[in-house]
Amino acid sequence: MMLKVDDIHVYYGNIHAIKGISFDVNEGEIVSLIGANGAGKSTILKTISGLLRPKTGSIAFMDQDITKLDAHKIVHQGLAHVPEGRRIFLKMTVKENLEMGAFTKPEATKQDFDTVFERFPRLKERQSQVAGTLSGGEQQMLAMGRALMSAPKLLMLDEPSMGLAPILVEQIFDIIKTLHDAGTTILLVEQNAGMALEVASRAYVLETGSIILQGTGAELADSEDIKKAYLGG
Amino acid sequence: MLFLSQLINGLQLGSIYALVALGYSMVYGIIMLLNFAHGDIIMMGGYFALVTYAASSNPLLAVVATIVGCVVLAVAIEKVAYKPLRQAPRISLLITAIGISLFLQNAAQLIWTANSRAFPSTSIIPSITFKVGGLSISLSVLVTIAVSVASMVALTFLVQKTKMGKAMRAVSEDTEAAQLMGININSTITFTFVIGSFLAGIGSVLYCCRYPVVNPTLGSLLGLKAFVAAVLGGIGSIPGAVVGGFAIGLAEVLFTSIGLSAWTDAMVFAVLIIMLLIKPTGFMGRSMTEKV
Repeated sequence: MMLKVDDIHVYYGNIHAIKGISFDVNEGEIVSLIGANGAGKSTILKTISGLLRPKTGSIAFMDQDITKLDAHKIVHQGLAHVPEGRRIFLKMTVKENLEMGAFTKPEATKQDFDTVFERFPRLKERQSQVAGTLSGGEQQMLAMGRALMSAPKLLMLDEPSMGLAPILVEQIFDIIKTLHDAGTTILLVEQNAGMALEVASRAYVLETGSIILQGTGAELADSEDIKKAYLGG
Repeated sequence: MLFLSQLINGLQLGSIYALVALGYSMVYGIIMLLNFAHGDIIMMGGYFALVTYAASSNPLLAVVATIVGCVVLAVAIEKVAYKPLRQAPRISLLITAIGISLFLQNAAQLIWTANSRAFPSTSIIPSITFKVGGLSISLSVLVTIAVSVASMVALTFLVQKTKMGKAMRAVSEDTEAAQLMGININSTITFTFVIGSFLAGIGSVLYCCRYPVVNPTLGSLLGLKAFVAAVLGGIGSIPGAVVGGFAIGLAEVLFTSIGLSAWTDAMVFAVLIIMLLIKPTGFMGRSMTEKV
């Protein structure tokens, strides 16, 4: 098992945001967490990557307990997190952003760049441009490319489709599928439940801090409850 | 000719302000703290130079002791006073910085008394004057400008090209995202304090060579003026601090040269007020968007 989240409770001050969530991600899977705004999806990812601390519960990555590990050390274990809203370094160039993605390595090699540029040719064209001048879709590609520079074992994507035009959403999901085919394990958080279930090996449905349903992507996509609540059917 | 000699004079003062303003701006850029103890670290540096020179009569050793002393002091302050407040509201951090400033001034007074002491400026930079045409320039002016410019070039290289410098920029832009890259925030902050206080150490020696008197309140006005320079240039911006420093230095000398020397300090703060009214982000500042 690659990632095992065991009964975590997370608070923002007095607000009990995550109420005892457990799930796991196996090597080679795409696991999707879906749910409405405020269900706690981003909070879960932030807790896994160490930006937030669970009050109780534990998180294990590659059979190692990372619950209390500093965020920057967790990255060194091979876990990359593409945060909500992309959070690229807008004042740095595309190339510098990618270099930051390879911070865990002694130095970003040409091969690291080539691998990312092959996947995102647009970034190669724009490598000396300041990241703030990129379009929304390009910024999302940069955020994903930046995370891939560390050659992560597990890639966590938080709302990669947010704010993108439908054609770009398709493109981003195609890339997610390609990454998965190339052997990357992915934990995906999405509001776009239709797309998220389509690519998912397994999925969990969240509601106000708890998991209310789980199953394979296909099972959940067929479920009447899900259709009604999240797929507009 | 008089104008030219005043211009050089202003460049000397401006380069010192720029060095000090850089420390303010870099620290602000990374932890949003107006480090009001920065000027007092420079004051302590003046005493470090004084004491080391008195004990060793070695000017080079005095300079090294000043720089090392300032760096060690600043890093210690960061660890003891600022680091525990990482999650605290920014106002707590600011009040702590003011507290540290008062603490350093009183500590200096306790150790070295409140009396001003003469700084061995001519032993550190020999008093040689060059005559170029009708213009006379002292070695100290040339050294100050050269050392400051070299430090700023080195700093630019460090920040733009090295891995640690890039990490500094990343942390200053988005601390959380920087952590997700695997960047250790604490060591990056410490590194920023090291650079800022290294420049402060250099600034301390150069300032004391220009105004060769050391006393416990030496850093207050210098610190405030450098702070004005940093705000003028756009706090958080490295080129902004340099531009702001030179602007304040030149303006001050210009003001003195037209016979208003009693008004120079007031002028500096008037510049701050005007700038805050017209363009609060400074010449090169980023517009502030509060993160949610």
